Amino acid sequence: MADDTPKRVLVIDDATLVRRYYRSALERAGFEVAEALNGVEALEHLLAARFDLLVVDVNMPQMDGLSFLQTLRAKSLPLSSTPALVTSTESAPQRIAAASAAGANFYVVKPLHAEALVQYASLLCGIRHG
Amino acid sequence: MIFTEAKRYYVERRAVDRMLGTRSDSFEHYFGRLRADVQGEIEQFVNAFTVNETYFYREEHQLVCLTSDLLAARLTVKPRGEPIRIWSVPCSTGEEPYSIAIWLLENWPHVDEYDIEIVGSDIDTDAVALARVGVYGKRALMRLPARLVDKYFEADDGASWRILDDLRQSVRFTAVNLVDRANTRLHGKFDVIFCRNVLIYFDDLARRTAAENLFENLSPGGFICLGHTESMSRVSPLFDVARFADAIVYQRPMR
Repeated sequence: MADDTPKRVLVIDDATLVRRYYRSALERAGFEVAEALNGVEALEHLLAARFDLLVVDVNMPQMDGLSFLQTLRAKSLPLSSTPALVTSTESAPQRIAAASAAGANFYVVKPLHAEALVQYASLLCGIRHG
Repeated sequence: MIFTEAKRYYVERRAVDRMLGTRSDSFEHYFGRLRADVQGEIEQFVNAFTVNETYFYREEHQLVCLTSDLLAARLTVKPRGEPIRIWSVPCSTGEEPYSIAIWLLENWPHVDEYDIEIVGSDIDTDAVALARVGVYGKRALMRLPARLVDKYFEADDGASWRILDDLRQSVRFTAVNLVDRANTRLHGKFDVIFCRNVLIYFDDLARRTAAENLFENLSPGGFICLGHTESMSRVSPLFDVARFADAIVYQRPMR
């Protein structure tokens, strides 16, 4: 990475194995990773610390990914502008449109391979490779 | 469990261990404690008899089969959105269910696409308690590539390694008695069951009962993997044999 301080990513997904999978991939690429199980927990994390990127699952208990993004985007700057990569098993255009309307910067359909995740994360964090 | 005369030494040694453990000065005294189940002695006695020696990535070919064939077969018939449920029974001190979790993270490209539930169960409550803690010595890790030990474990000291919290949280552990229908039923239906090297310890009747219970714990079309020396065909006619490139497994018929 060009910058010496590692970029911080918050992975928000209710499935433990998924969080571990994304975390391993991101950490290997030099990101610093924190995890949240749902939108409520993610908001708590965001009030406590700054993140460079959010990786957000759509279907989660308590507060789903899109409600979380709507809540986040309604907050004040700079918190509200944290980039968000939304991950989902749904590929229907109206789902993608809904995510985009809720404030997603990027939408990817699972399965998301480790290399692809790192590429998207780098892109959204403004990291240049090579 | 059934022990023949040839196993007398094995039985005696464990009975003596429990006599010492309870400070019983005669077998009659100990037997009295056992029958009255003083301080949960029946459970302690059962725990003394279980064999808890296993290691990570044991019978790896079945794990290969899981990700190359079994899960794909399940996904073609499962309604979208339903969790994939995998049962490791007996799970001993957790090596097998954690191996399944690690294997899926490393080898299944769809790992983030489905809700995966891994349950580890054993009759030995001490083993289950240790599984929940997730600390292992060199022997348990001997087959796991060093790269994976580094990735999924924290070195406790020079001689033991603790599995990462994320993995600990991804497996649910329970106590189960495979011949007790009321008990097995509580665990619900699974897509794949790993039931290795336990039926060999049962007598014919217990084996058949366990097989019938396991059958009930499988979703229609679900698979069960036994130890490589075991054969379900000899135990129960309920299952179909399914031959894949990496393993022979048994399947509950679709209907």
